Formats: sequence, structure tokens, C-alpha cells
Amino acid sequence: MSKVMSMKEAIEKNVSDGSFLYIGGYIARPPFSAIHEIIRQKKKDLTVTRSNAADGFDMLIGAGCVKRFIATFLSLGLYGLARCYRRSIEKGIPHKIELEEYSNLSLPMMLMAGALGMPFVPVKDMLGTDLLNIKSFMGDNKYKMIDSPFDGSPTLLVPALKPDVGIIHVQQADENGNAQMWGIGGDCRWGANASEKVIVSCERIVSRDVIGLDPSRTIVPDFKVVAVVEEPFGAHPGYAAGFYDVDFIFGSLYQKASNTVEGFQEFLNEWVFGVADRTEYTQHYIEKFGYRQFENLKARFSFSPPVSYEY
Amino acid sequence: MSEHPNDYIKPELMACCGAREIRDGDRVIVGTGFPTMAANIAKHTHAPNSVMMQEAGSYDAVPRRPALSVGDPCLNPGAAMIGGLVEIMGMFLQRGWVDVGFLSGSQVDKFGNINTTVIGDYYNPKSRLPGSGGANPIGSLVKRVLIIALHDTRRLAEKVDFVTTPGYIDGPGARERWGLPKGTGPWALITNKAVLKFDEETKEAYLASYHPDSSVDEVVKNTPWDLKVADDVHETEPPRADEIRVLREILDPNRMIKIYEGRGYV
Repeated sequence: MSKVMSMKEAIEKNVSDGSFLYIGGYIARPPFSAIHEIIRQKKKDLTVTRSNAADGFDMLIGAGCVKRFIATFLSLGLYGLARCYRRSIEKGIPHKIELEEYSNLSLPMMLMAGALGMPFVPVKDMLGTDLLNIKSFMGDNKYKMIDSPFDGSPTLLVPALKPDVGIIHVQQADENGNAQMWGIGGDCRWGANASEKVIVSCERIVSRDVIGLDPSRTIVPDFKVVAVVEEPFGAHPGYAAGFYDVDFIFGSLYQKASNTVEGFQEFLNEWVFGVADRTEYTQHYIEKFGYRQFENLKARFSFSPPVSYEY
Repeated sequence: MSEHPNDYIKPELMACCGAREIRDGDRVIVGTGFPTMAANIAKHTHAPNSVMMQEAGSYDAVPRRPALSVGDPCLNPGAAMIGGLVEIMGMFLQRGWVDVGFLSGSQVDKFGNINTTVIGDYYNPKSRLPGSGGANPIGSLVKRVLIIALHDTRRLAEKVDFVTTPGYIDGPGARERWGLPKGTGPWALITNKAVLKFDEETKEAYLASYHPDSSVDEVVKNTPWDLKVADDVHETEPPRADEIRVLREILDPNRMIKIYEGRGYV
């Protein structure tokens, strides 16, 4: 049964106010088209998580969609500190979000535990630091220290995370949702599989037969997936390996816009509320920056040698 | 060309100081900027068998341009292995396979503890910073942590506002008490004025070498704790011709490293 639908429909059907979302990607394959649709539909009180969050999370916070953030990091990378995030924490604009902070080891491990059906996972980081001294909405369930039942050594346990919905952008998927990704993975595989259900946005929909030609690349099996959205250029201004490069010029545009509340609102009016969907977004991009710049983002063409799975 | 070209800038010297702490065969976890340049200088000079990885998932990448983030697409083609955070931070780092990691921060204290979370009170901060990201696990789990910092009495601190990443925490034995792996921790603190090392007994950073144009007095004056000075304190060796050649001809032909001058690394 095909699960192909528009992003509008995928978000309407699966994301509610108050949902707990894993939103994948870090420069690599951020599901920006989904993020924009969440903002367009004015979802609120969301709990969101991902390791190494960047501009997409900053935008959701600035747009007022986020209540709680299970975080490790949020910055605009090359462009410095995340403006909306800082305004939220420092000045309560548009409101102060609640934070629970981990690290880029512990959070992916918590998602892995969620994906594997484990209640918690021991980790060897965060020990001796203030990350253990601050607790927010998770309270005493942020972590537990125990003596290892095996050798008595002090051991830090962190809880499994099971988001309501995982949203990822991948290179290709079939109509049922078997999703294939290649290149730098971040915490995408574990974040998606930790989630109760998954929205897959992809550069292209391929047949089940094509998936079967290279099954090692599948990171989410179809039974977890509730929506498949074909969304070329859906990760822009991030990148999709083999399709297009990260857009550094656009990153700078966002940084400048988000420096002020007014600039950020204008940015949303132009790039989110001012377009109906990813197709209009891409058209607007080409109109504004020219087809040459759009073409310049396209990836080089260099296929891996095929491998054989035969016996 | 003389053995020590005299037209180098301070960030180039700092990158060389980082490179010299890397040994042949080391597995190094790098971010962008200084760490990548330092690790690459080492790889192209005295440590050809060292290998780099990025936390987002790339191992032994061969980028055609300097990576501008740990997830930059240029880290994909040609890499020896690509996974994700669980592979690099879990399977490699937590398992104990990573020798060197580079860190920087808004504040660094005398025990090498680093703050990248907030300036001021956590709940009502003067300034909200990005948070830990990969810094805490790298500081917790690599064998030798190299810290890059600006040398002034605001950036260096007797005590940081918030310990995001553990150095030697509150002194000797603290890492072990907390259960961090043996034989890990801060190794050198490389600033724009000096190289500080960590005393084996007190775990405090002490002055090992001062950069050309600086002095013991200047370093001590700009360090907000009672800085101990090594008996064999000496001037830092300036960048060598082979190091500068690698940096300018292979790694950084556009001299992007100059942006660090704008950030105060002078």
C-alpha cells in the first residue's frame, strides 16, 4: 500500500500540538521541507530532539513551535551562535523554551536504546561536569548514577528516548517507506528507529525492486513509516550527498535575517509562509538567485562501482 | 627559504603547536578550523600514519576543500568508512580507540575544564552558548586533549561558570573518582601567547613555552591563577619551513586561517 502523500498531508496527519519529534540531519539531509511545513501549520508545544542541532531547530524555536528541547548543541556552525535560540533563552522571545542537555555521545546512545527497546543505556561521558547538575522537565529521570552490578564502578545511566514521530530526509525510498541513505549519518538511523512512527521525505521515490538491488543502504524499514514524501531539494540549505551541496550563501542569508526578530519574521514570510510547498520554494530560490546558482549546488556525478549481492 | 620563515601569523604558529603534539599512528578526532589544520600539518610532516575522523560519521576522509563543518559533504567521497555518531562517538571514542582530540571553549580553567554552555547563571544566562555537542565526550574519553584558547583573563579562568567538558575537574584523582577512563585528560593548552602543559601531580596547567613576542611575565600577567612556570621554560619554536609549506601550499592556499586574527588570535 502506497504511503505517498504531500508534506502538508504528512504533517497534518501525524504531527499534533504537543508531539515529541525526532528531526534528523545535521548539514547532511536536514528535513527542511518538513520543518517549514510544521511552521506553516503553526504547530505548538512540541518537544524536539537531535544531536548537534542547527538552523532548522533555531527556526522552529524562533517561530514559537517548540516548548521543550532535548539538546546537545545548537549553533549556526560557520555563522556562529544561533540567534533565535539565544533570544529564547536570554530574553524569552517568543517564549523561553525548556531545555534538557546531554552530549553527542549520550543522546545518540539514548536514541539507540529507544530503537533497540532497551529502557536505558550506560554511557561514559558527562561525568564530573555541570551537565549532571542541571535538570529540567525530566527531573530525576534525566539520568541515574549506579554502582555497576558487575565491577562496582560508578556508572552513568541515561534513559531511552522514544519520540512520537521521527522525521528524516533521505536520498531515496519506495512507496511503502523503505528508506535508503548514504553518506554521513549523524544520529538519523537511531533517531528514526527510536520513533513510534516515521515520516520519510526523500529526493526520489524508487520502486521496491530498486531498493532490493542495494538493501544494505536501507536505514528504516517500511513498517515503521507512515508517510513518504517525494521532496527534491528538500534538505536545502543543507545537503544530500549525490544530489546537491550545502548552500553556504543561504546560510549567511539566514544568519543575517535571524539577527533581529523583524528580520527573522521577514525571512519566514518570504521562505515559509510566502510559498505553499517545496516546489514553490525551489521556484522562488531560482527566481531570486538565478538558475546558475541553483545548478552550481548540484553534486558532481560519480557513481560507486556496483556491488553484487548474488550467491 | 630559512628554516623558520618570519612572515607567519600567530594562528599558524598555534596550528603548528597542535601538530607537534600529534604522534605518528595517532587516531585524531577533529572539528573544523584549527584542529583540522593542526592534524593535517602533522600528517604531512612527522605523523604520516596518523588518521582523522569527524564525530558526525566520517573516518579517514580525503576532502577536496577544507571542511566547514563536521558534517560537510566534502567528507563523504573517498573516506575509508562512513557511519554516524554512534560509530564514531560510541564504537571508536567510548571504546577507547581515539588518541587525540581538539577542543576550544569560551572559558577554560586551570584544570582544563571547559565551558561552552553559558556565561553567567545557567537559568538566567548573560550569554547562551551552543552547549556540549561532541566536546564533553571528547574531553571525557580521548587520551590526550589539546585545548585551543585565547589567552586573556576573561577566557582563562580560575574556575569556569559552567563545566561543560571535564578537564581534571577539581584536581588530582577527580576523573578516576567519577569513573572516567584511566590515562585520559587535558594534555596541552595552546593559546595565542603560550603553550601550557598539565602538572602530573597537581593537574594544574603550567607554562611550558611562551611564543615569540611574548614573555614569561606577559603570560603570567594574563593568566588569572597563580601560574607555575616550568624549570625548562623556553620560547616556542616558530613554525618551520616544512610546516608552513604544508599549511600554505596544500591545506590552506586561501589562508582562511587569517580569520582567527579577526577573532583575537594575535
